[in-house]
Amino acid sequence: MSDDDFLRVTDVSKWYGEEQVLHDVSFEMDRGDVTVLIGPSGSGKSTMLRCVNRLAEAQEGSILLDGEEVLSPDLDVDELRREVGMVFQGFNLFAHLTAVGNVALGPRRVLGLSETEARERAEDQLERVGLADQLDSYPAELSGGQQQRVGIARALAMEPKLMLFDEPTSALDPELIGEVLEVMHGLVDEGMTMLVVTHEMSFARAVADEIVFLDDGRVVERGPPEQLFERPEEERTGRFLERIASHD
Amino acid sequence: MASATRPATVRERVAESDRSVGRLLLVAAGALFWGWLAVSWVNRWLGGVLVPVGQPLVPPAAVEATLAGIPVLAAYAADAGFVVEMTPDLARGTWLTVVITGVSLALGFVIAVPLAVTRVYGRFSAWVSLAYTELLRGTPLLAQLFVLYYGLNLASYVPDAVSGVFAREVVWVAILGFTLNGAAYQAEYIRGALESVEEGQITAGRAIGLSKLETIYHVVLPQGLRYAIPSWTNEFVYLIKYSSLAGFITVPELYYRADQIAAETFRYTLIFLVTGVMYLALVLTASKLMVRVEERVAIPGLGAEREE
Amino acid sequence: MSVAGTLALAAVESLGAAARATAGAPPTGLSTAFVGDAVDWEFVFRNADYLGVGALLTIGLTVASILLGFVVGFPAGAVEVYGDGYLKRAVTVAGIVLRGTPIVVILIVMYFVVGVPQINLGVASISSAMTAGILGLGLRSAAYQSQIFRATLASVDDGQLEAGRSIGLSRFEAVRYVVVPQALRRSIPGFQNEFTIVLKDTSIVFAIGLAELLTRGYDLFSEQTTAVLEVILFISAIYFVLTFTTNRALDRLGSYYAIPEGEST
Ligand SMILES: Nc1ncnc2c1ncn2[C@@H]1O[C@H](COP(=O)(O)OP(=O)(O)O)[C@@H](O)[C@H]1O
Ligand SMILES: [Mg+2]
Repeated sequence: MSDDDFLRVTDVSKWYGEEQVLHDVSFEMDRGDVTVLIGPSGSGKSTMLRCVNRLAEAQEGSILLDGEEVLSPDLDVDELRREVGMVFQGFNLFAHLTAVGNVALGPRRVLGLSETEARERAEDQLERVGLADQLDSYPAELSGGQQQRVGIARALAMEPKLMLFDEPTSALDPELIGEVLEVMHGLVDEGMTMLVVTHEMSFARAVADEIVFLDDGRVVERGPPEQLFERPEEERTGRFLERIASHD
Repeated sequence: MASATRPATVRERVAESDRSVGRLLLVAAGALFWGWLAVSWVNRWLGGVLVPVGQPLVPPAAVEATLAGIPVLAAYAADAGFVVEMTPDLARGTWLTVVITGVSLALGFVIAVPLAVTRVYGRFSAWVSLAYTELLRGTPLLAQLFVLYYGLNLASYVPDAVSGVFAREVVWVAILGFTLNGAAYQAEYIRGALESVEEGQITAGRAIGLSKLETIYHVVLPQGLRYAIPSWTNEFVYLIKYSSLAGFITVPELYYRADQIAAETFRYTLIFLVTGVMYLALVLTASKLMVRVEERVAIPGLGAEREE
Repeated sequence: MSVAGTLALAAVESLGAAARATAGAPPTGLSTAFVGDAVDWEFVFRNADYLGVGALLTIGLTVASILLGFVVGFPAGAVEVYGDGYLKRAVTVAGIVLRGTPIVVILIVMYFVVGVPQINLGVASISSAMTAGILGLGLRSAAYQSQIFRATLASVDDGQLEAGRSIGLSRFEAVRYVVVPQALRRSIPGFQNEFTIVLKDTSIVFAIGLAELLTRGYDLFSEQTTAVLEVILFISAIYFVLTFTTNRALDRLGSYYAIPEGEST
């Protein structure tokens, strides 16, 4: 736990009305790290992720990103989101734009690139996720796996320093999961810093530097995958992992 | 088509050919209608290059004489002559009808979009927007025109800058009335469409760093407005029809002209049947036009499926 | 937005002005023309019963037209969904014509062209303007109602019809007892819209001189031209109350008849 952690989440708490959905959550990541959040449905994984780019507002605690306080009221939220990419479970592709249009919108409107620059960048990113031949397809014309790869390209086009993935493969048919995981593997190899919520345990085991197990809004246990998967210290962790395994 | 999979029955084939003949007739009638209007208008603007201003494009007597020679149609020859005689007036009235509808629709749209956006995304302004739409949708359009014309006497306040555009200032009062009223209805349609845009679209826009307003502009509106096209077409059609109410505040549009001719000649039957057909032609043109627009801007997977 | 706002303000201030004026302080200057005079409001209230009769006529005209529209429009909608051949085409074309023509033209055609007679019921008689009004508004409404019913009939799942047939109902019976009850419930929102449209459009029988609310208002302010704004605001308020209460009442009806937990899907 050095002072120059790239992302340091400290005692983050969050309430929706009366209901507390995050209880003093803490973890940290170095640049280039991959951290995987696991936990049962409703345990607060999405909420934690969304606090990092302020799509949700944490009421207590601190989130330091590259030395800057994310939760500061003075922070320029749009600037923050420029630097943090997010990939959604339901893809959320802009339905009225082609693949290129989806990826180019941010560079064009947020980064202020010219039309051609934005398009070039979009084409590059789509090529990076293996969609060079689907540039002008609309979301409705793409398979789920292709849509999610556009979603990843859209986030990458902003050249983020951190990528958030919220169950990127959960909405996909089993045969389409592989192509998305493959793209994510590629990002890991390139050294991207990634905070990932997923139920794909073999992926987590292969790429994660640390696994954080959340239950009921609390961090129950965290550690490197070998430790967490082979010798969980907490009984709840073991039970959760068993349940996931029996579903696979 | 059924014939692709099995031989069509005779009845189906007859119905099919009936339909294509009907379609052909309709297209021909449309071309004739708009051709006549365009030539009449141009003739008037250019000071009567083809026929003197106020004269029909073809002499009524000639029409009457021609028809009188055809056995079946002979009985209607006199009526036809009469209709031809009033065509210049009808063409003039139709010009105003088209202009009033077009201008009011466009201006109403400009007001309706922010009204709808505040209604969906605003706080206090949502209430203002709600009050406005409820008030204008809850009272008759004719009463609203009376307020503007008789109640506030707005015709005498038309700014000099625009008063020369139309021969009569009251046209601006009608445009104002239809704009304000139409904005309320258009806002309702657009609101419905905006609400049908998924929440995730906004989240995704915000996640790449667009501001809320930018997200509405670049993401929600392009989708919402496409969803709104079918109901917006209704509003277009309504406006064409209700523009006839401008006649009640002395705007010399199509209905007003027809009413005047009828009052002079007492041929209400014929005149209003012809007038009805003309409105029908305008309405059908508008809906065909909007179907085209919808096809032009269509995006796979987006927009309401149209019936028929 | 500004005009509506100004009007609302004008209405409020006018009432204030009326109160002030009775206290003996007549409003002066430019505001007089705009906010209205106590005299003018007094004129309006003196004639309130005259306008009240107009409002009753408006309501009667609305109800009669809606009923006629239902009686004609429902079968028309059914024909468009279940019918075929020339009957269906005739219904479709009639609908297009009625929906494509301004109501004022329809009313005048009814009045002058069809030459509707005065109807004598012994105790009371219905003027020909009234008959023309009901026919015009009613048939036009039928054309719109047919579209509402067409859409809702078509929206009931085919499986419902099949299930009805499978328990031995004839096609007509299955439609009558299974599809129609579901479709009617779903028609309430569209019907609500149609109701307020008819209510507001009764004002257009002005064109054939039927003395309903708006026509009476017009007659009144022609008589005392300083009271124009007061009269129109007053009748607009009546219209607003009528549309508003109708909407709420139909909301109630809608939730009363709503089928719990979604309908067939
Ligand atoms: N917008 C919201 N409003 C109220 N409660 C919410 C909202 N979003 C999530 N919650 C609640 O917060 C808890 C955690 O949700 P979430 O972070 O989505 O869990 P997970 O992603 O682990 O399934 C749940 O109890 C959920 O009901
Ligand atoms: Mg989640």
